[in-house]
Amino acid sequence: MVLIAGVDIGNNTTEVAVAEVNDRGEATFRGQSLVRTIGIKGTMRNVSGIIDALDQALQPLQIPRKELAGVLLNEATPVIGDVAMETITETVITESAMIGHNPTTPGGMGLGTGITRSIADLGTASTDQEYIVIVSRETNFQLAADLLNQAVNRGVRINGAIVQLDDGVLIHNRLSQPIPIVDEVRYVDRVPVGMFAAVEVASVGRSIEKLSNPYDIATLFNLEADQTRNIVPIARALTGVRSAVVIKTPRGDIQERRIPAGSLTLIGDKATVQVPVDEGAEVIMDKVDEVQPLTEIRAEPGTNVGGMFETVRRVMADLTNQPVGEILVQDIIAVDTLVPQQVQGNLAGEYALGNAVGLAAMVQTQKLPMQMLARKLQEEIQVPVTVAGVEAEMAIHGALTTPGTKAPLAILDLGGGSTDASLIQESGVVRSTHLAGAGDMVTLLIDKELGLDDLDLAERIKFYPLAKVETLFHLRHEDGSVEFFDAPMDPRLFGRVVVMSELGPQPLPVQDPIGRVAEVRRKAKEKVFVRNSLRALAGVAPGGNIRLIDFVTLVGGSSLDFEIPKMISDVLLEYGVVTGRANVRGSQGPRNAVATGLVLTSAGTGYGS
Amino acid sequence: MKISEEMVKEIILEVMGQMQPPASASAPASTAAPVPLNLRETGDAVVGKDKNEVVIGLPPAFGNTMTQTIIHIPHQDVLREVMAGIEEEGLKARLVKVNRTADVGFIGHEAAKLSGSGIGIGIISRGTSVIHQRDLAPLQNLELFSQAPLVELETFRAMGRNAAKYAKGENPSPVPVRNDPMARPKYQGLAALLHNKETQLVDRHKSTKELALA
Repeated sequence: MVLIAGVDIGNNTTEVAVAEVNDRGEATFRGQSLVRTIGIKGTMRNVSGIIDALDQALQPLQIPRKELAGVLLNEATPVIGDVAMETITETVITESAMIGHNPTTPGGMGLGTGITRSIADLGTASTDQEYIVIVSRETNFQLAADLLNQAVNRGVRINGAIVQLDDGVLIHNRLSQPIPIVDEVRYVDRVPVGMFAAVEVASVGRSIEKLSNPYDIATLFNLEADQTRNIVPIARALTGVRSAVVIKTPRGDIQERRIPAGSLTLIGDKATVQVPVDEGAEVIMDKVDEVQPLTEIRAEPGTNVGGMFETVRRVMADLTNQPVGEILVQDIIAVDTLVPQQVQGNLAGEYALGNAVGLAAMVQTQKLPMQMLARKLQEEIQVPVTVAGVEAEMAIHGALTTPGTKAPLAILDLGGGSTDASLIQESGVVRSTHLAGAGDMVTLLIDKELGLDDLDLAERIKFYPLAKVETLFHLRHEDGSVEFFDAPMDPRLFGRVVVMSELGPQPLPVQDPIGRVAEVRRKAKEKVFVRNSLRALAGVAPGGNIRLIDFVTLVGGSSLDFEIPKMISDVLLEYGVVTGRANVRGSQGPRNAVATGLVLTSAGTGYGS
Repeated sequence: MKISEEMVKEIILEVMGQMQPPASASAPASTAAPVPLNLRETGDAVVGKDKNEVVIGLPPAFGNTMTQTIIHIPHQDVLREVMAGIEEEGLKARLVKVNRTADVGFIGHEAAKLSGSGIGIGIISRGTSVIHQRDLAPLQNLELFSQAPLVELETFRAMGRNAAKYAKGENPSPVPVRNDPMARPKYQGLAALLHNKETQLVDRHKSTKELALA
């Protein structure tokens, strides 16, 4: 009877399984543990994390580390991924052509047109002209309303106003004749005076109708057909906002500009294809599928993508003591996303959603570093350490301890950096694949799309369901259900969108309504995990046909997510594939599959004797 | 160290002496105290039924024996900005006079308890303010503006706006509050004097009154 430990070093967590093996080669599991991986998977820095994990697993058994007969490491081909975001379009306003933004409280409603005029010059305004009045911060709301009322009494026709401060409702409430007012126009001094302009404000809960339609703009401004074509981007930028101003200036224009983002060269076994990143994720991924199996991906030097690839390779080279030239990027996943971006030449701090492509790249290296890691660990703990099996193979052996499973079986290992799949035939033959892009990429997408600039916060949004604190005694979960509390909650939670973590509700410093946050989160998970699951399974399925797989078990940290398993399950159902989350050894859930598999396969090869 | 009353008085005089010249030089308008507000009591304050109101609680000295904050913002402007902030969000402001205390937390809490939306604002004469909610304990708050010398006109507008947003069930980001470690040594003496003046009109046995601003 000897005691052995299987150690699985993952991208984010290091897991250990400890078992007693008798002389017939049967393993009895005695303990397990899980700690955060220190450093990048498969590198020297992992050692302290492994020792910590071993101690945690052995501590309840009251067994010192040196009584272990052996420690088994997975042959973790170090995989590191990096994620980057490439913005490929931006909106540029030349001169002052439009203001379209969403101040929460514009004044009045409807559409007004006229010649722009400063409120200071209203005294000399003529009565046979229609005006749009510009109110800067020097004029307070009471004075502005008085001046507007005086002018109207004098017979001046005022059809709308553009206000610098958040005074729209205040001015409107004090007017004798209601007009639409767009407020919070920060750079009101850039609005040209004496130009024809149109102001539109929609009622609460609606968005503008006229200024978001190019033909209505053409009607208002008497435009020719070719001029109308030029204002299409304006109309598009104003779609969905509650208030807007359009001003006709001699050369005023708005454009959507594409930013050159470099190109990727996909080198496959059979073909080599070049694809520009600004073509978007769809095109990139189509090309990736086209050239499968991939051997290497290169990025154009001197571009953002090139920089990202270089960083990944250099980090990997440093960590594994190999020349940079030997390190190849072997897989990428590209995802289309929209990133809020400040409009160039804006008047009111407007944001427009720019198209962006998110990329995750993965590097694979040789087995050499793993042997170095094993030797280092052996020195430290004075117990024989062996590199005992290929990760994906071990994972499937671990997954097969789930009650109710047998070969043939496919697994999806949903991790932090990579999505892996493997398939075991009845004969015991295992095929496996590693793909770039998993939990970390979802975090990045959430971070960018919500404009958070805080990966920890994005991680929390990814991990926990949302709720809205409606009073101090109740909150509404994102599915609409209500939860009551006997004691009042912390006042800092009042009115906030919160994540429901183990520690109770935690406030999120975001302005977006709960629905949008939830949608961004779900979309990000779908884009990465659904796409990658299909890619990975196609890679191991017989003849690349997912329909020929009957059962898929999910393992790995991201399969503990509260919604990813359902998303994958839903899409795989279309292929007639039954999906479920593994329950390793009937007790560990989707965790510990690789560590368990390591122990089981080694025990079978006569470790005990 | 023991601090005697004489020492405190001495320090206060010294602080006042130092503050006087720049105050009068930079802002000549502030030397002439603004006129008292025309605040009329219209009976006992009652709990509002309107979901779209925010109640502003004031101590008895506000706009009365005292007419400006510690940094010489006239009380008239304070009320105008807070009420404008509430109105801009589409809600109504209601004023009450809390007679039985000069503590900003309790005034704010009293206002919140009277408010149909459950949201109240407490503002004391020197400018210290709080946004309160009726289910909270009196010394808790939604947002606290504890350093009166740093509460400016824009802060009052934002305070009204945020209170209205809470009342609407929105998710406002808290008004940025500056923190100046020198505010305490610089203003503590003055604040003590102002507090003294504030409490003179407090009457523990008098109920909270509805106010009309003429």
